[in-house]
Amino acid sequence: MKKIVSLILALALVMACSLALAAEDGKITIWTWDPNFNIKAMQVAKEMYQKDHPDVEIVIEEVLSEDVETRVITAASAGDISNLPDIMLCQDNSIQKFVLNYPEVYAEITGKYDFTDFAEGKLAYSVVDGKNYGIPFDAGTVVGTYRTDYLAEAGYTIDDLTDIDWDRFIEIGKDVKAKTGRPMLSGQAGAIDTVLIMMQSCGASMFNEDGSVNFVNNEACKKVLEYYKTMVQEGIFIEVNTWDEYCGTLSNASVVGTVNGCWILGTIMGVQDQAGKWALTNMPSMPGIEGATNYSNNGGSSWVFTNGTDLDLALDFMGMYRNVDFYNEILPSTSAIGTWAHAKEGSNYQAGNDFYNGDAIFAKIVEYTSHVPSNTTGAYYYDAREALGTALTNYINGGDLASELQTAEDTVNFAMGF
Amino acid sequence: MTNATPAPRKKRFWSMERKQSAAGWAFLLPATLLIVLFSFWPMFQAFLTSFKRGLPTALQYSDPLYRNYAYMLKDKVFIQSVKNTFTYLIIQVPIMLVLAIIFATLLNNRDLKFRGLFRTCIFLPCATGLVAYSMIFRTLFTYDGMVNALLMKMGVISEAINWLNDPFYAKVVIILGLIWRWTGYNMVFYLSAMQGIEYSIYEAARIDGANQVQQLFKITIPLLKPIILVTAIMSTNGTLQLFDESVNLTRGGPANMTITMSHYIYNTMFTKNPNFGYAAAMSFVILVMVAVLAAIQMKVGDKR
Repeated sequence: MKKIVSLILALALVMACSLALAAEDGKITIWTWDPNFNIKAMQVAKEMYQKDHPDVEIVIEEVLSEDVETRVITAASAGDISNLPDIMLCQDNSIQKFVLNYPEVYAEITGKYDFTDFAEGKLAYSVVDGKNYGIPFDAGTVVGTYRTDYLAEAGYTIDDLTDIDWDRFIEIGKDVKAKTGRPMLSGQAGAIDTVLIMMQSCGASMFNEDGSVNFVNNEACKKVLEYYKTMVQEGIFIEVNTWDEYCGTLSNASVVGTVNGCWILGTIMGVQDQAGKWALTNMPSMPGIEGATNYSNNGGSSWVFTNGTDLDLALDFMGMYRNVDFYNEILPSTSAIGTWAHAKEGSNYQAGNDFYNGDAIFAKIVEYTSHVPSNTTGAYYYDAREALGTALTNYINGGDLASELQTAEDTVNFAMGF
Repeated sequence: MTNATPAPRKKRFWSMERKQSAAGWAFLLPATLLIVLFSFWPMFQAFLTSFKRGLPTALQYSDPLYRNYAYMLKDKVFIQSVKNTFTYLIIQVPIMLVLAIIFATLLNNRDLKFRGLFRTCIFLPCATGLVAYSMIFRTLFTYDGMVNALLMKMGVISEAINWLNDPFYAKVVIILGLIWRWTGYNMVFYLSAMQGIEYSIYEAARIDGANQVQQLFKITIPLLKPIILVTAIMSTNGTLQLFDESVNLTRGGPANMTITMSHYIYNTMFTKNPNFGYAAAMSFVILVMVAVLAAIQMKVGDKR
């Protein structure tokens, strides 16, 4: 008899637990990563929101980007998304893949949120089949940032690197390399961030409008790979193996500068003893390509929402991302540039930056953001990225460009053929 | 329950033998059920998944059924990953096992001082996490890393080698890592098996004039045969499922030249556009490979 009683008690306990999960309400849970960037931004948003809504509980949990993705896959495969949070951060390049593969996880928010005045190119990442699935957060607007002391050593100033094309950049790069012994840029071998930055600055993508892969007949792509190879061979661009090594080349000043998304400024400004030695400008453009610009984008994320009971509350909270004061508040501590057009109206955006000798770098970056050509991603973005990375490595090691691109295109088409 | 009078004795259904066998089954049952539920059932489900395609949460049986398996033959990256994995297998496993036997023989010498210390040192790598040691190896072998600096100081090489970005050297680094990590592990198996070999056999052999090498080949290795077989099967199995080193040490690069089968399966599931059916199908191909190789080794190794 006792056994039966304890069995019933145990069962009741299990049921009570599962009920507790389902009944969770009136509380916003958020998964995001990076305590100095995304988490910080959400904390500011939480404090500002709770001033007017003191009864709303908001929980911010640190979950790494890869872990968010793995957990979504696990939850969706198990058919139980009750453990997912109300709001998650998602890499812009992953949104399409996840929404297309797990449509039941993500809440469509078309018409439920005011999307006016968000940068067009940025918003496109979270629009699937004409429906909105995300609220844009930070811009990955590309900046060119260089050490002025090394440039001066070779007889150049930051103006010599402003509004130039890659031909001129390589010319300067050879000269700087000869005079200072330092390469201009560094990057991770096999990770093709720089190549994709250069492609997007031409308004080119790895995909056609209809979603099919576009390598073989992509003039911009070929040209970018040729220029990239030239820079590597001339020693203007040094390839390292890991992300840490890349950051190392910046902090120990073994390169003159970098061309990357503006979030890299966090790393650069983290080295306090280099204050005053850096200057910032736009990136070089690709010569001979129609529509090529000096502006591009790399990285950045958007907030996405789980299909759940707290969606309205979560969206109400996300009203913070249409608030000048919010963007103004997070800028000094995170360097996160908002993609909402009015963000730049805050006083901090106009202020000079001490690290950059009083230059109003954030106003500059917001200005660059408005010129960035948009880019086509899709569910097969990472397949294409990996294939192009393989092609690039083989091409640098002496492979034939046309046939390597053909192989890459075949690889992606193969994955799409399933 | 309240019936206090004992039931009249009739011919007992539960004979002593049956009772004992029932008790045995009862003890086996929980573990068996758990294994079936959490191991065999998912394997069966995965087998079904390997015939399906489509969105991850709405998988449909493919047409024809063997579609995923047929695709593998045309998948260049998969074929490359098979080649890589077998390169590791063919080069690394023999080197490691031979080294393990040599170390075990040396450390089994009763006259050796600080035996315990040496044994611990060689076994110590096995106590490190796979990810941790992979990261450390990566740091050691970076372009401006310690290994390059050391080799250049010693004058072995005149120019730094870009270890991790060269298809050949990247494989070398992975094999070195594997040997460092697993030799001690296999050595412990041999050492413990050697404890079972009567020391007087060696004494007798020495009296007969056998030297160290002869003792090794004529006594130790023949007597260790069963355990060598076990370690060979375990190492083969482990190498075919190699994952951590490929992911953390080289990221599969350069240009997929070091990617292993398990790493590619992971990519198919988690970094690329998810394809559960194809990933499951590749897993089963690995299972078959492991089974076939193990069977061959059993046939070759077990001549009783």
